[in-house]
Amino acid sequence: MTEPVLQVENLSVDYVVGEGIRAALRDVSFELHPGQVLGIVGETGCGKSTLAHAIPRLLAEPPARIRSGRVVFRGIDLVRLPKWQLPQVRGTGISMVFQEPINSLNPAYRIKDQIAEAIHIRHLRESGKEKGLVSPLAPYDYSKRDLPKAAEVLTKPLVPSLAKRKMRLPLEEDKEKLLREVLEYLRLVRINDPETILGLYPHELSGGMRQRVMIAIALSGRPSLLIADEPTSALDITIQAQVLTLMKELMTEVNTSILFISHDLGVIAEMADAVGVMYAGHIVDLGPVDQVYQDPRHPYTKALMRSVPNRYKTDGPLPSLPGSVPNLVRLPTGCTFHPRCPIARPQCSKDPGPALLPAEGASSSQHLAACYFSRDVLGMP
Amino acid sequence: MEAPGSPAAFASLTGALRIVRTWTRRLVPATRGFIRVMRANPLTLVGFLMVVVVVVVAVLVVAVPAISGAIGGQRASILPYDPNYYPSPCPSRTIQTSNGSYETCTLPPSLQHLFGTDNLGRDIFSRVLAALPLDLAIGFSITGFAALLGGVLGLVAGYWDRPRTIGGVISALILRLADVFLAFPSLVLALAIAASLGRGTIPSVLAILLTWWPYYVRLVRGEVLVVKHLPYVVAAKAAGVSEVRILFRHVLRNILEPIIVYYTLDVGTVLVTFSTISFIGIGVPLNVPEWGNMVEYYYNQNLMGLAPWTVLAAGGAIFMTALAFSLLGDGLRDVLDPRSRRALVQAAVPTKVTAGAAAPAEA
Repeated sequence: MTEPVLQVENLSVDYVVGEGIRAALRDVSFELHPGQVLGIVGETGCGKSTLAHAIPRLLAEPPARIRSGRVVFRGIDLVRLPKWQLPQVRGTGISMVFQEPINSLNPAYRIKDQIAEAIHIRHLRESGKEKGLVSPLAPYDYSKRDLPKAAEVLTKPLVPSLAKRKMRLPLEEDKEKLLREVLEYLRLVRINDPETILGLYPHELSGGMRQRVMIAIALSGRPSLLIADEPTSALDITIQAQVLTLMKELMTEVNTSILFISHDLGVIAEMADAVGVMYAGHIVDLGPVDQVYQDPRHPYTKALMRSVPNRYKTDGPLPSLPGSVPNLVRLPTGCTFHPRCPIARPQCSKDPGPALLPAEGASSSQHLAACYFSRDVLGMP
Repeated sequence: MEAPGSPAAFASLTGALRIVRTWTRRLVPATRGFIRVMRANPLTLVGFLMVVVVVVVAVLVVAVPAISGAIGGQRASILPYDPNYYPSPCPSRTIQTSNGSYETCTLPPSLQHLFGTDNLGRDIFSRVLAALPLDLAIGFSITGFAALLGGVLGLVAGYWDRPRTIGGVISALILRLADVFLAFPSLVLALAIAASLGRGTIPSVLAILLTWWPYYVRLVRGEVLVVKHLPYVVAAKAAGVSEVRILFRHVLRNILEPIIVYYTLDVGTVLVTFSTISFIGIGVPLNVPEWGNMVEYYYNQNLMGLAPWTVLAAGGAIFMTALAFSLLGDGLRDVLDPRSRRALVQAAVPTKVTAGAAAPAEA
């Protein structure tokens, strides 16, 4: 087994708001290996976004507070790294694609300036002019990649634009090189007529285009880890499909590990190799996607899978889980899931349950569940 | 010197030509956009033109004597008269009152004296123009310094404001210091400082400076607090941009627009405040033409009823200049935001609705 890119160990994050302390993450542990795509799925408020922001330490501290745990990224524990060194890891080490493409681009700058900034930062770090973590892999030449035929057609301008003529202005050599690389990245994310897009402001683009630009910015740092925090949930369904297809294609082209966060089981099934299911700030079920989906070993996962609309089931109401997500200020004693668990035993209300145990009787040893009775899940009513 | 026709000369000529062409290519769309924006917003145009006129005249008042003195040896001026020259005896007119008649040197506006003359026979028009550079320079420099000082302090106080850190302590200190100054009405504080420093141009400028910067701290800090939590700032952090670069490139650029607007409006306010200090009699000495002390002096000489043009010319100059900056500032608010700028430009383009296109809609 190769060295994992990212190793999260017993990460716990609280939000201190007024008197209450909300335990947003409790004992989250997982590993992400090079080239792997790990999906994190869970309902609203279960701590997915907190996890995504906690890894590159982007949480506003306070109100957030990392109580315990380690986030080891390429051998560096980010939790113990001094604050001023964090920017050196971000961008070229870990980069992120955010939920809202509408607000994630700076409204004051043109698209080219924003992508160029990220590329410029990487150039500075690669040449050693500025300290920073850069990808240990050989630089990937995006211009020599094999593009699918359809995508190649798309990158050609449909409408002849004046932008091409403007680009012949006597720019400085550096600027021109930078601009060419910006164009490469815009082509990489399959943007139609990239020469025109270069000079536009973010508000002049559609949501899908903006998300593509965001992905281009995130990739232009050539990160070892890309965190995608619900990159498609703010987009409508057709654009969602386009962006997902794009990301899927990019996964094979760009050598990076991806932490893909979504509330959509279908999206995760499509994208991820492995999946972690979160409930009330804790990963309750972790394993290869098909394992977890076919053979859930935590009662919550099982209930979640059952409540997915299914085209084979046409009669009767959709089964739903009784009860609601626990209040994070006053978590139930014992296992956080026991008040809603159909197979709960008396000890479940006292014992907080295991962090993650190998699921009993599962076909893969990598399938872990946070339940003592993972065997009973099979016979769950 | 290269021989004409040599390859080097040719290369430099084409190089120069290319630079000129590049610049015209950049400037032509820019001016076109500017004209469109101005047409869409006529009041901005009025304000802009007034500011341009005021600034050009101020520059001419200062530059023409200096340049002509340097070139020809004799100092010329665009002022029709020396602002401090009074003829003695001055040309006078007789005023009849119920108690009898007396002589006064205040001549009403005429072609010779556009704004009339004052009680000493000095030309008001020349005095108003001579005061322009001083007043304008004071307006720009006080606001400029206040914006710079207050702006930097506000950026720091807004961006590094986490309690129990070094930045948090510094920003708390900045804010409390600003609060001390804000606790007094700025005019009263400025008057107190100016009075204690004694009469003169420099003391009164210092007095306003000291009271002016806290407003910029408040303004900038408030804007920074809003912007620094916006998703694009977090996204910039995620892209590995350093803190200082985020502050100046991502945060500052997005709060620049309200600061510029406030600055422009503020130039007028400072003018009025400075004139107020002069009006109360602790500002600029009387022999220096300045609008505030002109109003004060003529008002104290009871010329308001006898020769209203003396007071009105100086007061009107203050009013018009402040108005010009207000109009420009209001217009800038619309122009500086890329989104509303686009809307403005589109509004300025007349939409053509042909009769043929409109008819089916009605039917």
